[in-house]
Amino acid sequence: MSPASRTVPGGRAAARIAQWAMVGAVVVIGVLFPQVYGQDFYAVTIATECIVYALITISLNLLVGYGGQISLGQAGLVAIGGYAGAYILEKVPSLPFPVELAFAAVLTTIAGLILGLPTGRLRGHYLAVVTLGLGVAIPQIALNLTSITNGRTGLIVNPASIGSLALASPVAIYYMCFVVTCLSVIAIHSLLKTRTGRAFMAVRDSEQAAAAMGINVQRTKITLFAVSAFFAGIGGDLFGHLQNLVAPGAFPFSLSLFFLAAVIVGGSASLPGSVIGAILLVLADTQTTSLPGFEPVVVGGVVVLVLLIIPGGLAAVPATLMRLRSRQGRRRARTGSLASGAGD
Amino acid sequence: MQTFAQYLLGSVGFGGIYALAALGLVLIFKTSGVVNFAFGALASLSTMILWAGIHRLHVSVGIAWVIAVVAALIIGGLCEVLLLERLRRAPITIQIVLTLGLLLLIEGISGLVWGYTPKGIPLVIGGKSIGGNGFFIARDDIFIVALTLVVALVMTVVFQRSRIGLGMRAVAADRETAALMGVPVRRYVLASWSIGVMITSLSAFLVAPKVSLSPTMMEDIAVFAFAAAVLGGFGSLVGAVVGGFVVGIAANLIAGYLSTNYQLTLVFVLIVVVLYLRPNGLFGRAAVARQ
Repeated sequence: MSPASRTVPGGRAAARIAQWAMVGAVVVIGVLFPQVYGQDFYAVTIATECIVYALITISLNLLVGYGGQISLGQAGLVAIGGYAGAYILEKVPSLPFPVELAFAAVLTTIAGLILGLPTGRLRGHYLAVVTLGLGVAIPQIALNLTSITNGRTGLIVNPASIGSLALASPVAIYYMCFVVTCLSVIAIHSLLKTRTGRAFMAVRDSEQAAAAMGINVQRTKITLFAVSAFFAGIGGDLFGHLQNLVAPGAFPFSLSLFFLAAVIVGGSASLPGSVIGAILLVLADTQTTSLPGFEPVVVGGVVVLVLLIIPGGLAAVPATLMRLRSRQGRRRARTGSLASGAGD
Repeated sequence: MQTFAQYLLGSVGFGGIYALAALGLVLIFKTSGVVNFAFGALASLSTMILWAGIHRLHVSVGIAWVIAVVAALIIGGLCEVLLLERLRRAPITIQIVLTLGLLLLIEGISGLVWGYTPKGIPLVIGGKSIGGNGFFIARDDIFIVALTLVVALVMTVVFQRSRIGLGMRAVAADRETAALMGVPVRRYVLASWSIGVMITSLSAFLVAPKVSLSPTMMEDIAVFAFAAAVLGGFGSLVGAVVGGFVVGIAANLIAGYLSTNYQLTLVFVLIVVVLYLRPNGLFGRAAVARQ
């Protein structure tokens, strides 16, 4: 279950520079994108979708890649965030965006805590079925709890506002999602370097060893679920603004699978990987809508092909190339899989 | 009491279908360690072939069944040879996501070839329901239950009593050691994929007359069957059968007495409660995590 290794022995300084260059490039492209394509609302909306999906994929990667827990119900958490944001905005239309976002995040975190409670006892497939249950149940509850969710029609999501500024245009929504996602990624990146973040990975690698090191395994897992849900809730709120509508049909089981596929195609336990995986799958999905019926074929085909060619996901490409170059001779003898750490 | 009994009788058909679908899922998991999430889509594909046999080749329903069963065996084998075998050494999550990709791919391809308009498949055994005094059971449901029990019995006997079953259990217990002992591991894994997809396809052939046939027909069934397999302990054949009937009966009782709106939700609440009390399912053994 261990992820593809991210550090390359030797050339660590070079790798750091490359990393910062990449982060810089992403931020510059992200800031400039609407300046270039601002007139093309379709392109801006797709770009926003990529950003929001990237954040949700990262929230799931926390759980799957860094925490070693499986989840088939991330769309359920996203739905809670989306509905929470839409509901509170409907009640208090002038609510500042940060408050709305915090409300959505906190409510989703509570759901995540509840979901995390049985994980002390459940793992593997049993956990998969519990999370699957959440993913299936939330849209059904949303469909039937009409007094809050307005049933099948769903809730219209009012534009977010900060003071007198309404974030309604596609470009404004783009920047809103971009800023929130960047801040979230920074927070997640920092969190992973703290004691708690390292505890996630220790529990993933071996629960027994982690417990022996004095880590409270159950509390760590519950924290992990809560943190993942927190960011899924933020993603869900942005998702609602992106779609202008939250409805039960917008959060099918297949959406949860989509996020899981994005995590694995990008590379588990890799933040850049999740971004790339989400962008690749969103583009595969949106660019084929003009060919009705080809969407699932293209998305499924991309997933299958990427995994067959690079089982470690796209994030494993640089590491794989470097390792191939540096120890080609030795590797030829060990015809193991490309995914390093596959045998852990 | 009478309504209760009638709800029970009315639920055995779907119970059998979930059980049969779960058996195919569990068989593949037992030997290859992979949860094949594409199982529903693959079974729908076989059912499309059954439909094409009846409506395009104009053969009789029986012959169409034979063609579709053979096709299902081939489809299962191809999945293993072309896809899973190549990722045999990859971590299990990657193999699971591979089957998710396959799920989309297969659904998409059947959609392109046959379209999404619902299609009809004839019942295996039609005719009036049997019973009286307010208790009725459809002939078709009796056939479903009988077929499920026969398949489960044959599988259990093969697993526990034959040399093939011994080999399969050896592969399930430890693939490397089994290979060193001269067990033809590749052949057994291939066979389990082939037969597993075929058994799930049987459940799809049986459910198609009840709900109409489309590439996504098995999505809901697959969710229930997956839950049934987990409830039974994921890896136990008896557990899969019992889990299938428990899920089928629970779903029907919930719909009858509580609410159809929250049917799916309450079934999952029930499963979570059961799993909380018995973390390894009803028939699972508290084994060390399989890696």
